[in-house]
Amino acid sequence: MTRESGETEQAGVQPPSTARVLAQLTRPVLRALPVRGLAATAAVALLIAALPRLLSDEPDQWSALIALRAAALTFALGLAFVLDDPARDLTSSVPTRRILRTTLRVALVAPFAAAWWTAAVLLIPSKIRPPVGDMTLEAAAAAVLSLAAAAAALRFTAEPEPGQRVAAGFLVIALVSPLALPNDWGMYVSPVEKPWGVGHDHWAMVLVGAVAVWAACGPEPVRRRRLIPT
Amino acid sequence: MSTVLTQTPAETHTAPARQSWQAIFALARFESRKLLLRIPVLFMLAAYVAWIVWRTKSGWYGYPALQDVDRATQTGPLLVGFAVLLCVNQAVLRSQRHDTERLFGVLVLEPWRRTAAHALSILPVTGLVVLGVAAQFGWQAVKSTAVGNGSVGELLVGPLCVLLCGAIGLLMARLVPKPFAIPVAAVLLLVFSVLAPVSIGGGDATAWLTPIVGEGSSKTIPSDLIGRPAVSHALYLTGLALALALLAVLIGKGRTKTSTAVLAGSLAGAIALGVVGGVGQAAGVSSETVAARTVATLNPQKVQSCVRHGRSTYCAFPEWVPRTATWAEVTDHVQSLAGGTAQTRKLLVQQRVEARYGMEADGAIEPSTTPNQVTVRTMWGGPRTPEFSAAVASVLVLGNEKAGGDVCDGRMVTIMWLALGWTSDPVTELRAVRLSDTVTGSSMVLSPTNGMTMTAGQTSVVRELLAAGPSTVTPKVKAHWAELTAPKVTTAKVAQLLGVKAPGGADKCE
Repeated sequence: MTRESGETEQAGVQPPSTARVLAQLTRPVLRALPVRGLAATAAVALLIAALPRLLSDEPDQWSALIALRAAALTFALGLAFVLDDPARDLTSSVPTRRILRTTLRVALVAPFAAAWWTAAVLLIPSKIRPPVGDMTLEAAAAAVLSLAAAAAALRFTAEPEPGQRVAAGFLVIALVSPLALPNDWGMYVSPVEKPWGVGHDHWAMVLVGAVAVWAACGPEPVRRRRLIPT
Repeated sequence: MSTVLTQTPAETHTAPARQSWQAIFALARFESRKLLLRIPVLFMLAAYVAWIVWRTKSGWYGYPALQDVDRATQTGPLLVGFAVLLCVNQAVLRSQRHDTERLFGVLVLEPWRRTAAHALSILPVTGLVVLGVAAQFGWQAVKSTAVGNGSVGELLVGPLCVLLCGAIGLLMARLVPKPFAIPVAAVLLLVFSVLAPVSIGGGDATAWLTPIVGEGSSKTIPSDLIGRPAVSHALYLTGLALALALLAVLIGKGRTKTSTAVLAGSLAGAIALGVVGGVGQAAGVSSETVAARTVATLNPQKVQSCVRHGRSTYCAFPEWVPRTATWAEVTDHVQSLAGGTAQTRKLLVQQRVEARYGMEADGAIEPSTTPNQVTVRTMWGGPRTPEFSAAVASVLVLGNEKAGGDVCDGRMVTIMWLALGWTSDPVTELRAVRLSDTVTGSSMVLSPTNGMTMTAGQTSVVRELLAAGPSTVTPKVKAHWAELTAPKVTTAKVAQLLGVKAPGGADKCE
């Protein structure tokens, strides 16, 4: 809840600075992160990225592209669980705003995600590797979209652990969108095709939109909306 | 699925056992309703319906061959299958997520019976997919233009894939009861099944281990020459799905000795079924099919039936005999535009196909050198129709099909006029029949065999003729038929005879 700390402070005690709060929060948030799930997801995603190498002696560009996209999708599915908080009913009433806590969670995951993506890209043989910059944009868009969906689920439902449903929905959308989106949007084409450039403008738009949704869904809802009355 | 799980109660006749089966069915009813109302499942069912409509509208140009339609029903159900995979898994894990596992522990329904109920809950959504497959196939099959025969084995693959997906979701929930496991496993499975056939190589026994086996060729061949082990593959998929579901049920605790024995027996039966199917599908193409393919390719007249329509004879593979009347219409139209003896010439239209490689690869068909013989292929509608009429026209003008590849003079204009002049929208047909999909410049003209070439000048003359229409052009064609079909006649001369603007420059083929 967005309770301003100053209003409830006792006279003479300064509220702790944001930096201090973050520093103090780091350890407990790290402990609350679904580390095992993320690690397992990242491992499977790396396995997917390695599939072209494992399955064939001379993998082609097409399989490299599929594998890298699927690896990015898998990791994004893992990120859908990052905001899960089994203790949400308790933590929603602490003075530290939720956007701060969720941002801290994501900030703690970010270096791991970057390292993971580097490893995934390196697993694709350099000869058949799709353009790394553009693929990074796609992966980032997928990751932030997944986080934004999780944030939206937290914002609009009272569910403490929406990760499972978010991941299922995200996967379903990810499977249908290559079939449903027009080909000239170019979001799922291969680098040799013409709409690749346009497609990555669209991916950039997805990234920006996802960041905006993430920011908009940051605050804890003051009033709970219950879709299903209990 | 239903065979094993629903037949089992007949073997247990004691009253408590019957009650627990009733409880299983009650839970299965509840779970299947819940599954059908999950948003991913509803969304994917809607996507599946949209896919069916899109596929049906865009496919086969209104002239389907049912041995292709059956295979085209296979990939769409995977959409539903993925939603079922995720949602069945989440339904099994629901009690864990809501921490009601301890409450269920005191109830009469043991964990393994609950798993069995979840397994049964996959059946209604599979039934919906069966309806979808039936609608997709039936939509094409009721068309009067449809030819060929579908295979039940191929049609079953879609629904069986949904069952298989549900069984995988069930088993995953019992093996790795973690919420993050199933979406990740789903992607891994999907990528593996997409990449493995391409990387390992298709066509052999390992390719048939994947649920949906595609083909390298999109041509149509007679259904008895396809040589796909469809029934064995359906058996294999049934066995696999049953085995995975029964394994998931066996993992659940709380079984009595009798139920363990029955389940283990059923599992062994399912595995045996899968192995029988697996062995059957690994056998490869039988030597009889290989021999029949060679005969159909090299000596098609041995297996074809011939029908007379008007002046000409039409020889087709038995499945295509109903379509000969459609071919005859085109031949008659082309002949009605021609002059001289060509109007009344007796043609032999022979259906030919390269079937020696089955559905794995395509092969070109050599043009026939026999006078007055025209080749027609197995596909029809869309660009295939003007391709055939171009072949008929070339035989009428040049005498045989082989000569079409070498013609470079003004006769090409006459050929294209005969081929397209009678159609209702000739410019669209001209675009369709040309390899470059253009109506200006030079291009290859497709035909059932080797094709012909049009120069830029010939293209512009043909376009002007098509714009003028048959009422003005046909009398001139009939009047000057001998000059128009004389070898070495120039395009400029033809244009002058037919009263349209002559192009600049001599005929020059590339």
